Amino acid sequence: MTATERLDLLDPAEVARLGGIEIVAQGIVEGYLAGLHRSPFRGFSVEFTEHRAYQPGDELRYLDWRMLARSDRLFVKQFEEETNLRAMILLDASRSMAWRGAPERLTKHEYAQRLAAALGLILLRQRDATGLITFDEAVRDVVPARVKTGQWRRLVQGIVTATAGHGSAAEAALRHVTSLLTRRGLVVLLSDLLLDRELALTALRYLRHRGHQVVVLHVMDRGERELSGPPEVRFRDPETNDRLVVRPRELARAYRLTVEREIAAWRAACRRHGIAYHDVTTDQPFGHVLRRLA
Amino acid sequence: MIFLHPLALIGLAAAAIPALLHLFQRRQPPEADFPALRYLSEAERRSARRMRLRHLLLLLLRTGLIVAVILAAARPLVPSRSSGATHPPSALVIVLDNSLSSGAVVGGQVTLERLKTAARAVLRRAAPDDRLWLVLADGIVRGGAQGELEAAVDSAPADPRRLDLVSAVNRAVRVAAAAPAPVREVHVISDLQRTALASGRVTVPPGVRILALGPRPTPANRGIAAARVAGGGGGGSGAVSVTVVGTAGASPVPVTLRLRGRDLARGLAAPGATVTLPLADPGPGWWVGEVTLEPDELRSDDRRLVVWHSVPPARVRADPAAGPFAAAALAVLQAAHRVSDGAEVTFADRPGAGASVVIPPADPALIGQVNRALQARGTGWHFGGAGSPGPIASTTLAGLDGARVTRRQRLEGVDSGLVLATVNGEPWAVASGGVVLVGSRFDTTWTTLPTTPAFVPLVDALVNHFSRGESPVTEQEGDSRVTFARVGPDTVGATVYGPDPRESDLTPADPAVVRSALGAELVRDVDFGAAAFAGLRRADLSGVLLLIALLLALGELAAATLAR
Repeated sequence: MTATERLDLLDPAEVARLGGIEIVAQGIVEGYLAGLHRSPFRGFSVEFTEHRAYQPGDELRYLDWRMLARSDRLFVKQFEEETNLRAMILLDASRSMAWRGAPERLTKHEYAQRLAAALGLILLRQRDATGLITFDEAVRDVVPARVKTGQWRRLVQGIVTATAGHGSAAEAALRHVTSLLTRRGLVVLLSDLLLDRELALTALRYLRHRGHQVVVLHVMDRGERELSGPPEVRFRDPETNDRLVVRPRELARAYRLTVEREIAAWRAACRRHGIAYHDVTTDQPFGHVLRRLA
Repeated sequence: MIFLHPLALIGLAAAAIPALLHLFQRRQPPEADFPALRYLSEAERRSARRMRLRHLLLLLLRTGLIVAVILAAARPLVPSRSSGATHPPSALVIVLDNSLSSGAVVGGQVTLERLKTAARAVLRRAAPDDRLWLVLADGIVRGGAQGELEAAVDSAPADPRRLDLVSAVNRAVRVAAAAPAPVREVHVISDLQRTALASGRVTVPPGVRILALGPRPTPANRGIAAARVAGGGGGGSGAVSVTVVGTAGASPVPVTLRLRGRDLARGLAAPGATVTLPLADPGPGWWVGEVTLEPDELRSDDRRLVVWHSVPPARVRADPAAGPFAAAALAVLQAAHRVSDGAEVTFADRPGAGASVVIPPADPALIGQVNRALQARGTGWHFGGAGSPGPIASTTLAGLDGARVTRRQRLEGVDSGLVLATVNGEPWAVASGGVVLVGSRFDTTWTTLPTTPAFVPLVDALVNHFSRGESPVTEQEGDSRVTFARVGPDTVGATVYGPDPRESDLTPADPAVVRSALGAELVRDVDFGAAAFAGLRRADLSGVLLLIALLLALGELAAATLAR
């Protein structure tokens, strides 16, 4: 696969048309790993346990150069804790995620599904136990974190079956994670964050308190960043059914400032609590997002 | 404000359209899902005040735009002072005071040029429908077209005559008031000397507006009011008395008497004072001398001519019947070599063979006899009955005014002899055909004259000049010059022309006095042209309104787009 064919760098909508989530996620991960020099995630321990065959994406620093010199074969060194990393992907499946600002773009949910699949595949390839929780106003589906064969398919199954629900209540899902991750692990939240910020932050703080590494991916459509539309339009919130008549051109500047303020507030709150925060728009190539997570 | 197309104002109802649209427009906007509605609500809440203000501003701008366009279509006319404005047909009389004082140089500029500039500024604003008149210092009311009057203004010199501003304005007001025009104005363009406003007040009829150019400070000025020869009738030396006038309180100025280009005498006089300059008798004949002052801002009144007739002393025979006072006066004159003994002139109560000064006989019964003798001499005058007492008045003989007559005989004439003095308006002293008739005897029981200083000069003038058929030297207003009166080959009199002394006082009248005397509004030079026709001059505001509409449209465009 050449650089120009790397799916991770293509337009997400175009990538999505290539096939199902599983295929697309593999393509993304292959392209992404081909462009990396080191793995984005690694374990916390440094105690050597065994060798395993080198796989693309493995960090070269774990390559056993002596083994390579003796046998001319590539092996990487495995450490005790590395196989014990538990990652949990939290996918927001609320109704607000099933929205796109333009037909040529993916909905936030579709985008988040593919991103979650790619992320899961990367983690599993690192032999990290990876699980999935989908939620809307309640926790909908849970795939416990495993590293065994078939986990990838279970993850994809969980992602695909996560259809758009109703409202968003991330804090319930986040609290559920704590019961599933008994040891310190990685929590990745993919959501449009159209939820109660304080409640969500309380739950995220709790995870941090428990020693988990937390990453928040704030998924937004470009149409949510920049307000546009007809001279006058009645907007409806798909979750609450609230309606508001506005003149997009009049309100565009104030809206943009409000969104920027909101993003800045999320970023500041996350930074304050040691949480990694990334705002993502659905027209960004998946590889760019994965690279930001590295 | 009036409108040329008032029906267009009906369109003002359209000004309500933006407000009505705002209030009643109930469009059903399309509906769309938008998950981030909470951000929208927050943005709207934060910008609600600004948006309300913007909507209000847009409403005002749009309403204003419609109002401005409709008002422009109605062509509003408003009172205006600008030169570009139009005015209804007007009757305008311009009183341009080009009298002598307008030749003064004030602030480096000849006053007349300043006045002409103001007059031109008014005439330039005249419309073809206006009726225009111009009154100059000659008092003539000239009617004419704009170009003709502008030419008259351009060519008007500083006139040596005085302009009585009150009577000139009264005349102008009558002309303006008689004109059938909706606007009637009189513009007084003058230096507004206070001496020009001393003759009453202007009666301003309703509908006539008087504008006057505001007065300006003037420099101190001195001029010669009069120059007369005293005692130069013949024989020995005489004197020239020179009266200086001008700005009160001005410093004295040198006065010079010249004859044939030679300085004869010098003196010093302040305004209001009279200086007497010695005059050596240059010999028999008529003489024209010149009295000058040092040049100042007004040159025209710094020179005045003086004329006198130097004659040999008359040879006089005084009859005892003339009385002791006449005899004493003649003795004084003889001592001064003004008269001598002889039979050339007879001073008696009846005419002699030659020149005679005749007084009434002491016995009224002899009057008939005297009258017959006068008739025999071919004299057209004779003594009549007793006249009433009264004061003597004379414009010919100096110093007689104030002397009283208690007894007199009336003088009755049949020809146009020269009346030298009057009492109660009736002739009291008359010169006719070499005979001078006096209505009273020179006696204190008849008149107080013998006890006054004017008596000896009177006797001198009677015997040396009037009994010889000579006329007095008279003074007239006009260009500085002398004209002589002749009878056959003989010069019998002269007229000296000079400016009116009142022109020498350049002091402007107080503004309150101007308003009171002329009933005028005072206007500054720079505003004078614009003030003309201001009563009903109107400017078309359509252009301004269209410009405002354009600005409002630009403002609306900016408010509707830039704020997004």
